[in-house]
Amino acid sequence: IHLLSTAAEPWPENAALYQQLKEEQILLSDNASSLAVQAFLQMCNLPIRVVCRANAEYMSPSGKLPFIHVGNQVVSELGPIVQFVKAKGHSLSDGLDEVQKAEMKAYMELVNNMLLTAELYLQWCDDVTVEEITHPRYGSPYPWPLNRILSYQKQWEVRRKMKAIGWAGKTLEQVLEDVDQCCQALSQRLGTQPYFFNKQPTELDALVFGHLFTILTTQLTTDELSEKVKNYSNLTAFCRRIEQQYFEGHDKDSSAAGAARSAKRSLLR
Amino acid sequence: MAAPMELSCWGGDWGLPSLHPESLTVMAYAKFSGAPLTVNTINNSWRPPKGDVPVLISEDIVISQPAKILNFLRKQKYNADYELSAKQGADTLAYIALLEEKMLPALLHTFWVEAENYCSVTKPWFASRIAFPLSLYLPGKMSREALNRILLTRGGPPHYSVTEVEAQIYRDAKECLNLLSKRLGTSQFFFGDTPTTLDAFVFGFLAPIYKVCFPRVQLQEHLKQLPNLCRFCDDILTCYFRLTVSGHSPSGQDTADANLQKLTQLVNKESNLIEKMDDNLRKSPQHPPRKLTTLKLAAGGEAGSPLNRLSP
Repeated sequence: IHLLSTAAEPWPENAALYQQLKEEQILLSDNASSLAVQAFLQMCNLPIRVVCRANAEYMSPSGKLPFIHVGNQVVSELGPIVQFVKAKGHSLSDGLDEVQKAEMKAYMELVNNMLLTAELYLQWCDDVTVEEITHPRYGSPYPWPLNRILSYQKQWEVRRKMKAIGWAGKTLEQVLEDVDQCCQALSQRLGTQPYFFNKQPTELDALVFGHLFTILTTQLTTDELSEKVKNYSNLTAFCRRIEQQYFEGHDKDSSAAGAARSAKRSLLR
Repeated sequence: MAAPMELSCWGGDWGLPSLHPESLTVMAYAKFSGAPLTVNTINNSWRPPKGDVPVLISEDIVISQPAKILNFLRKQKYNADYELSAKQGADTLAYIALLEEKMLPALLHTFWVEAENYCSVTKPWFASRIAFPLSLYLPGKMSREALNRILLTRGGPPHYSVTEVEAQIYRDAKECLNLLSKRLGTSQFFFGDTPTTLDAFVFGFLAPIYKVCFPRVQLQEHLKQLPNLCRFCDDILTCYFRLTVSGHSPSGQDTADANLQKLTQLVNKESNLIEKMDDNLRKSPQHPPRKLTTLKLAAGGEAGSPLNRLSP
């Protein structure tokens, strides 16, 4: 990222966020990451429209989603996007002191390490989910046999990575245990505060919201994953609060609100 | 009384009880929580070390990963975290995740992938502790696994070459060290005066970088610029592992201490005997316990007693 040149330009009106097709193709983990970025940009008050493309993964500079196209810069993944936005002069975490910033980074790593990996495990290593949800969805825009080839290739890649970090030997119960531990930690850290660092949301809130909201509102073969999150009422309240504040107060046409609403079922009980 | 527990792990050098970060974490936790572990370092026996060292064996139960071993110890009532609040427990989990994501790739790289380090230090050290002919194969396998892990988790676009990946992981590791240093501040341990699980993990990851003498040491140099982290490692080594900072026998100290040093070096081979002696000696404390009074009695008794009973 060329920080000097990006700092000069203001945020354009036509900034776009690219992800896969919402209804047919996008998977749990990518939806979570995309929602996290959208939440972050909403919190910074930066307008963004969501563009869905079947080949979004290949357009991304790092192969990971989502990515944003701002002016003539393309930046992918939450971490680099946060830095990019900071270079433009918008930041959510400036008010934190050094120890709090360290804590924030640590908790973000916790979410990536446990929640995201668990989502990937569930999508690509749990045979039932793979057969019923992942394979049909992942290659859906493409004709046979390309759709099967692409999803097997991706599955092989993800399984290799799981093996390297030691998750391949885990059973689904153990993975759900880890998710529970992670949610417990997040719940304890959040406590009764509105956001993780009290009054103001930060990128950590955006990240946690993205993952938890997606888990809560996506229908999988079993409800076990969302049940783990529902055990912690302050986390569901947190998601509801952010959904209300940042995604429902906008125009009906706004794509960001549409993303939250088009999740399979809303948080309203 | 709990069943006797045996820990099988890699041994140590350069003043460390173990070179392997996971083994070191478990050993440190056992010391902090007072768990009576018999430590068996892997040596040239014919029993090959399994891929997932350290391994805890208690009666018939075999447990292999550090997180699981620590859970088991906690269930046996050896809990170093009982004074922590719920939020501090959550912080522990978060910081451990930070260590694994940001610190571990660079640690693996320094030990196993950096060519000079691997060929001149790591490979000979590990090969000398594995029986032939496994010693020809196993270090290479560990090195390949380390590289694999680094590339799979951190490689890929936009880093298109191994050197770019390396640059990124060292940047991340240095940032992680800075964050840890800020978090530690001036306190003795991460959550006040008593060491906890997080201290065990941080010590396990940092001490090998701090102490092992590699030819390529950029991470060690960065760590040495963070004096509170260095002090943290040294404190744990001197207080809990009874080794001096340099790991060598001190020349200017009195003979009782010198004997203590020799005995400490025997611990690896005859740890059963030492543990039994400590049990007896605990009942007759010879000196006032050192500053670590908040520890379980085992540590306070050990500090003073072997001096008198065991000097020849």
